[in-house]
Amino acid sequence: MSLLFKGRQNANERVKKSSLASGYYFIVNIFRQGVHSLGEMWRTPLASMMTIAVLGLSLTLPATLYLVVKNVQQVSSGFEQASEISLFVKDSMNPQQTQTLVKRLALYPEVESVSFISKQDALSEFESVSGFGQALQYLDSNPLPDVVLVTPTPRHRMPNAAQTLLAKLEAEREVDFGKLDIAWLERLNALLSLLKDSVITIALLLLTSVTLIIGNTIRLSIMDKKEEIQVMKLVGATNAFIHAPFLWTGVWYGVIGGLFSFICVSLMMWWLGSAVSSVADVYQTRFDLIGLSFSELGFLILLATLLGFVGSYLSVNRYIKEIEPDKV
Amino acid sequence: MINFQQVSKTYSGGHRALEKVSFHIEPGELAFLTGHSGAGKSTLLKLISLMERPSAGNVFINGTDLNKVNARQIPYARRDIGIIFQNHRLLERHTIFDNVALPLIIEGTHHKQIAKRVHGALDKVGLLDKVKCHPSTLSGGEQQRVGIARAIVNSPPLLLADEPTGNLDPELSMEILKLFEDFNKHGTTVLIATHDLGLVSRMKYRSLTLKEGRMSQDPLAESLL
Repeated sequence: MSLLFKGRQNANERVKKSSLASGYYFIVNIFRQGVHSLGEMWRTPLASMMTIAVLGLSLTLPATLYLVVKNVQQVSSGFEQASEISLFVKDSMNPQQTQTLVKRLALYPEVESVSFISKQDALSEFESVSGFGQALQYLDSNPLPDVVLVTPTPRHRMPNAAQTLLAKLEAEREVDFGKLDIAWLERLNALLSLLKDSVITIALLLLTSVTLIIGNTIRLSIMDKKEEIQVMKLVGATNAFIHAPFLWTGVWYGVIGGLFSFICVSLMMWWLGSAVSSVADVYQTRFDLIGLSFSELGFLILLATLLGFVGSYLSVNRYIKEIEPDKV
Repeated sequence: MINFQQVSKTYSGGHRALEKVSFHIEPGELAFLTGHSGAGKSTLLKLISLMERPSAGNVFINGTDLNKVNARQIPYARRDIGIIFQNHRLLERHTIFDNVALPLIIEGTHHKQIAKRVHGALDKVGLLDKVKCHPSTLSGGEQQRVGIARAIVNSPPLLLADEPTGNLDPELSMEILKLFEDFNKHGTTVLIATHDLGLVSRMKYRSLTLKEGRMSQDPLAESLL
């Protein structure tokens, strides 16, 4: 492939090669360059390690936050059920009518069990628990209503089904109004989605900074090799040939930075694991932290690699163009 | 081989480096390019090696108009031209072998071929025993010879040298010139820019002289015009 001298062949072309073989050599050459640039990084271990540590830690934060969300979700999915509906009976109903209501409710196919708390029981319980015992004695009449606690069957415990059931129960003549205790669940879900959104924001910021850090590191390395790039251009190196080692370096930073952050996250999970289980002990439950799954690890490394490539591509594209051999 | 037609080069600052320079170097010729510092020798070589573009006129290499070579093609055009620099421009972080092998690696030559050709080139300049050394451990003359080995390793048809003897004593300079003569005998066209007139006069070769950007002394060009 000679541009100025048509008949001229380079040393490579004198050895006849099939297109398949040259394609093979092309691929092999790309990976050889990859191994070579890994060796280059190995030659300056301290500088490379520092860059990798910065990248790894920057990736650790979003990965940790992601795990926090994942674990909180696991906890809340256990509560994702409305286990009780409280029905407040109209004050005008006599005990007879209330008892009929309780029996009728028990026959609902959606209802698992029903329990009745009379207003007298409720008042005495309130007196003993609240500490207002003295004050309550000044009341003329019992202000509390009769309450029927309805436990839906498992199929009707999901928020939406429970909501429908509540509407149906409220239609009963004797019922004043009902209360489905899912407000706290909605609050938890709202908090969780807020947390998710902030994780996404923080992750975007940190991933951008990872890209910029890699871009800047590659820029410095390009500046450091200015002479070398000029000489390479002078002896006929194409841009692709000059770009390759820098792109590889960026990719390696990504891969190793990703692995480093995985190690950090794993160490942190191990460290927090015992603290979490002691908290769980206090609440008399069992709770195991979930770490990164295999596919999530794969995603983390892939993402880091992609960021490394993008960061180095930006620098390479911008700065190598500027280095021209102008001095003979 | 090298054909300049009414070539002018004005730098962006307004400095006129070359003015309507015309000359022709035949294939297989060895020619000197002389003149004071700042006379435009370097600019002329830069135009041939596509480091600069002419402001006016055309440069032809082997019949190809360099104005028609686009940026993407420049690397391929440079592979046909061996360039030797006054300050060698060797890669300090690499061994002599790697330095000389660079043009071959860029062309994607097979590694067995590379070893063979690098050893051949280093043998020609008499530095076969320094293959594993780094440039900084060599003397000035040796470094210059490594630069020459790098320029000839892929046997380019055209060899350019910018002050190749600039930092060397007369004896070493003569040795270097003998090398160029040898390559020329094997068919390579050689253009050597130098301000060492004593050296030029000792050898019976054609000499192009630049004076303030104009070609002042080229009998052949004058007869053509």
